[in-house]
Amino acid sequence: MTTRPTRAERLDRAIEALLRGSTPGVAAATAEIGGDDRPLVVVAESLRTTLAQPVVAPRFEARVGARLSGAAATPWVLRHPGRLIVTGAVGSALGVGVTAYAVWRSTRRPSGAAHRLLQR
Amino acid sequence: MTAQPGPAPGTARDADLPDVLAAQRDHAAFGTLYRRYLDGVYGYCFYLLGDHHDAEDVTERTFVAALAAIDAFRDEGATFRAWLFRIAHNQLANALRARGRHRSTSLDAMAELSAGDDPALLAGRAEEGRRLRGALGRLADDRRQVIVLRFVDGLSAREIGAVLGRSEGAVRVLQHRALRQMADLLET
Repeated sequence: MTTRPTRAERLDRAIEALLRGSTPGVAAATAEIGGDDRPLVVVAESLRTTLAQPVVAPRFEARVGARLSGAAATPWVLRHPGRLIVTGAVGSALGVGVTAYAVWRSTRRPSGAAHRLLQR
Repeated sequence: MTAQPGPAPGTARDADLPDVLAAQRDHAAFGTLYRRYLDGVYGYCFYLLGDHHDAEDVTERTFVAALAAIDAFRDEGATFRAWLFRIAHNQLANALRARGRHRSTSLDAMAELSAGDDPALLAGRAEEGRRLRGALGRLADDRRQVIVLRFVDGLSAREIGAVLGRSEGAVRVLQHRALRQMADLLET
């Protein structure tokens, strides 16, 4: 056994039909709107055609967009703390390695003056 | 009018989900969602507050809060736009509280927004628009919220329920009462 939709449910179906492009008459008939609620479908159609979505001022859109871009870019390392740790560890290891190599090379290479004497 | 009906309950996926997932991976991708919903959120705020500057302020705070919380969004029934408008709704509640009173909003500033860009339509519907806005401005906040979310932003009853924290059935009843009141106001 199916229960008949309430008046509020039927009106909502009619509005859904209006928003999808149906005429008020078709929307009301499809949703089985009774005589008492027919004027509500007419009001709904007036609202649909009259209430416009305002357009935002371009300057405001740009300002908020810039603020959001800044907020999205700044906390990169904070949103990925693991990356910060890995980057730091790799950077430190590279630094230690390069320093160690430089020290090792300097101990093996003869000084410039001694090198010139050997060449004579 | 740019409003589009939301997905039918239980029959369609949230169309914003791919962009939401992209924004969760990289916050820079939030710009797509921002551009998509800026007008809608602003319209909701403007029709409730009746003031351009207040609407801009609440809209900005809504998107900043949404970006900060985007990682917490989960695809668990409510659509992204319902989630976003819920944030706007909370920010609006704060703004209305800050005003210290829930007055009947003057919607005079909306005259310029109505009837689209067609001059003939503007002329023909000027009086109807004025009367409609007058009636809308006399509705209680919760009824006006339902009307604006439904007819300006195109949210479904289910999505509006998620925004207002009410059941889908309660939203339909609220919508029915709001339209009944508007019909009565327009008759007098």
